[in-house]
Amino acid sequence: MKRNHIITSDVTGKAKKTMWDEEDAGVDELLAVLGYKVKSSDMVDVAQKIEHLEGVLGNDDGLSLLASDSVHYNPSDLSSWLESMISELNPTTQPPIIDDSFMNIANTAIAAGNPPPSEVDSTSAFVDDLQAIPGNAIYPPTKKVKSSSSSAGASASSSYNPNPNPNPVVIVDSQENGIRLVHTLMACAEAVQQENLALAENLVKQAGMLAVSQAGAMRKVATYFVEALARRIYRLSPKPPQDSPAFQDLLQMHFYETCPYLKFAHFTANQAILEAFAGKKKVHVIDFSMKQGMQWPALMQALALRPGGPPTFRLTGIGPPSGDNTDHLQEVGWKLAQLADTIHVEFEYRGFVAESLADLEPAMLDLREDEVVAVNSVFELHQLLARPGAVEKVLSAVKEMKPEILTVVEQEANHNGLVFLERFTESLHYYSTLFDSLESSGNGGGGVDGGAISPASNQDKIMSEVYLGKQICNVVACEGPDRVERHETLTQWKSRLDSAGFEAVHLGSNAFKQASMLLALFAGGDGYRVEENNGCLMLGWHTRSLITTSAWKIR
Amino acid sequence: MMQFTETLPPPLHQTTKPCQNFATSVNPNQTHRTRPWPGFPAPNKPLGTFGDANCMEQLLVRCANAIETNDATLSQQILWVLNNIAPSDGDSNQRLTCGFLRALIARAAKTGTCKMLTAALSNSNITIQTHKFSIIELASFVDLTPWHRFGFTAANAAILEAVEGYSTVHIIDLSLTHCMQIPTLIDAMAGKLEGPPVVKLTIAGATEDVPPMLDLSYEELGIKLVNFARSRNIILEFTVIPSSSLDGFSSLIEHLKLQTLVHGNETNEALVINCHMMLHYIPEETPTTPFSFEDATPRALFLKQIRSLNPTLVVLADEDADFTSTNLVCRLRSAFNYLWIPYDIVDTFLPKGSKQRQWYEADICWKIENVIAQEGSHRVERLEPRSRWVHRMRNTGFRGVGFGEDMVAEVKGMLDEHAAGWGLKKEEDDLVLTWKGHNVVFATAWVPT
Repeated sequence: MKRNHIITSDVTGKAKKTMWDEEDAGVDELLAVLGYKVKSSDMVDVAQKIEHLEGVLGNDDGLSLLASDSVHYNPSDLSSWLESMISELNPTTQPPIIDDSFMNIANTAIAAGNPPPSEVDSTSAFVDDLQAIPGNAIYPPTKKVKSSSSSAGASASSSYNPNPNPNPVVIVDSQENGIRLVHTLMACAEAVQQENLALAENLVKQAGMLAVSQAGAMRKVATYFVEALARRIYRLSPKPPQDSPAFQDLLQMHFYETCPYLKFAHFTANQAILEAFAGKKKVHVIDFSMKQGMQWPALMQALALRPGGPPTFRLTGIGPPSGDNTDHLQEVGWKLAQLADTIHVEFEYRGFVAESLADLEPAMLDLREDEVVAVNSVFELHQLLARPGAVEKVLSAVKEMKPEILTVVEQEANHNGLVFLERFTESLHYYSTLFDSLESSGNGGGGVDGGAISPASNQDKIMSEVYLGKQICNVVACEGPDRVERHETLTQWKSRLDSAGFEAVHLGSNAFKQASMLLALFAGGDGYRVEENNGCLMLGWHTRSLITTSAWKIR
Repeated sequence: MMQFTETLPPPLHQTTKPCQNFATSVNPNQTHRTRPWPGFPAPNKPLGTFGDANCMEQLLVRCANAIETNDATLSQQILWVLNNIAPSDGDSNQRLTCGFLRALIARAAKTGTCKMLTAALSNSNITIQTHKFSIIELASFVDLTPWHRFGFTAANAAILEAVEGYSTVHIIDLSLTHCMQIPTLIDAMAGKLEGPPVVKLTIAGATEDVPPMLDLSYEELGIKLVNFARSRNIILEFTVIPSSSLDGFSSLIEHLKLQTLVHGNETNEALVINCHMMLHYIPEETPTTPFSFEDATPRALFLKQIRSLNPTLVVLADEDADFTSTNLVCRLRSAFNYLWIPYDIVDTFLPKGSKQRQWYEADICWKIENVIAQEGSHRVERLEPRSRWVHRMRNTGFRGVGFGEDMVAEVKGMLDEHAAGWGLKKEEDDLVLTWKGHNVVFATAWVPT
């Protein structure tokens, strides 16, 4: 179970302390719920061990070895239990290759503030665990964990529990477990729906155990759903601690690199915008999803080189408040201005901070008569559905902006149904597919096929999973205005946009070609599919469409 | 609650450096990112405006760099831009860029593991369909421009002069154009030589699929040539020796050596080796030190071998460009700065949408794709410039023989049949075909020293 307390904590030290102060200090609360006692500081270590164990169990030898004796021995001490299994199965293997990307991520993410003391401890516990295991033959003491430099020389005090060396438990037939896992999750969701919390509690624990027995994408996605269900059942916190937008952006950036979804969104939306701007001398893009502004360099470059020369290009970026003291919207604007300068495009930028898009008033945008406007929204509109009337207000504001084109990219799923069980089922299928695709993609093109994935792309993948995990948590565990991941399908959006006075603009063959080209360039891209649907483009994994780009204009 | 960003000055009009206008509280170095910002790196010199071939080239170069450094995001973004500014039916610069764009996509897609390239891109015509010519089609195709005719005319003139007095002429025709040069030569021999000789024609029957491709087998082609020669009262013996440029035509060389051993110097036979745009397919790595004739590369070895056959004449015509760099970006620049010529040419003599134009451009695209997207033994388009070939020949024991005034006049006459823009110049002993002043094809003639 990859629970990364370090990562999910807020960037500022203050919020992190609050989380640590909750419930059982120092023990991972969710695993405690499931019957395991694991120090939060040991979490990364445990995750590593589970992965190692998984790998070892992957071959038949391991299973048959386990099948001889099956004694379940004190699993509540998860760390040593795993340790014992590992040492039983593979007395001669080298220690697992420590994926210290977590530590690096954690360290970088907290770069702004001071690393909390608990993080330093976990690093040293990390090193010590390995060294304290009986039998240096198993884990040669010379193996030094490569981790953040400050804590590498930590004290040698051992916080490790002595290994009782029990006989390991048998885990049989992970495929059968897989099916059982899905059923258990569904049953749990149903119990939640029926407010039978005692049953739900039971089921979520079972699901948790089954999840651990799985491998790869299934395990990861199931783990997130288990966690989300647990949060819902135990009402653990009114809402999960809010990540800073900077951190959210960071996660999205990794997601951007790992898989083609965001790039697809940008490529297709930009194609529509570029075509809408053909022949226009003054253009203005209003971006509801500014983030790091990654969508715009390519568009600007294409505008710079179009026949007749570039238009004057104005960009208004809307984003949430930064939380810290930096003005990140402005930084992004500055970088884009630099780029514009080098490619000879007259450029103007304005950033607007808004808690919600519904706060936007067109009057504030300084709309000019002779400008052609494009409004762009990538994964933003669905959040408005959390507050009644918000999406209508925003769409009416968009109409006042008189855009030549409105580009919308949204998840292709209905995660906004009234019935919890339906939402749960839908999102389970959706995110399973997404995690599947993540598992199969290497890095985004240019990687070594089949073999080792670079640490950088592994980090990307992990962060992408965290990014998606947060969405899962929101869909399952939150309600009311806190539940912002209210995805809806194209059909549903079409009907909303129709009622708001918009009509669809066909995206055209160029957009399709661009999308196809992108997929061809994507390593491990065999499973991705681009489909045209009534003039909109959908990107999916195998037979399941996952995101949709559509374009609209005022009727 | 709505706020304006606090440090924002009044709207900026970016005609000068934007950073000067920002309030000091913005620190450009303060970033949460742990890796470089994805996007376009600032170039050393600003890009030109649309349609400028220079700026197309720069974008292609940046894309190539991004691919070579595994910067997937940057390469994808540049490809997105290129898709928009280089349509396959635009002007000659755009079509040229489009050819390179396709090649870069092919190269980038190779480094991924996606095997769906063909299927995914079936919509955008990435797979280059080159035409298989019939003999008639090929004959008229090569006559369309001086590209090949130049080499034919110069070579035939030199051959005619060299074989005077011999009773047998043995021509080894290593030509990209499948003997298209030969009918004219036979005609000339029949007309000009007293007592026309017996002509033996040996071709390598190379098995590589290099455009232009023929839908005829060499055996069938041979029959046609023999019949044609007979109609001119010339006895033609036609031999095909299956041999590959990849190993420097070693089978052919072996056959020829055997012939020399068997027949020796008995007959009054002239041996002519006619190399027309074929030798650049023989593998040659970029030499670390230029022109070391001690190189044991197939190319150097091949030249040594033909020298050892003591030929009466060697004619070498090829394209004047350097595609041998191991560095992708260098190759790209070289290729871009040479292959604009055929795209420019085609506008002058073939209408848009004509089939021939499609074939012509498809063949160029094949070349581009080979230079850019292929590596190792698959990358066969390894052009070397005239100066390097001259050096090779000299180092192998050949002496250049120039082209006389009559020959030059003949070539000029041929050029007059074509559009303005074609030119002829002399570099040392050699003739060079030019288009708008740029070197296109060179022709050289050699005898053993």
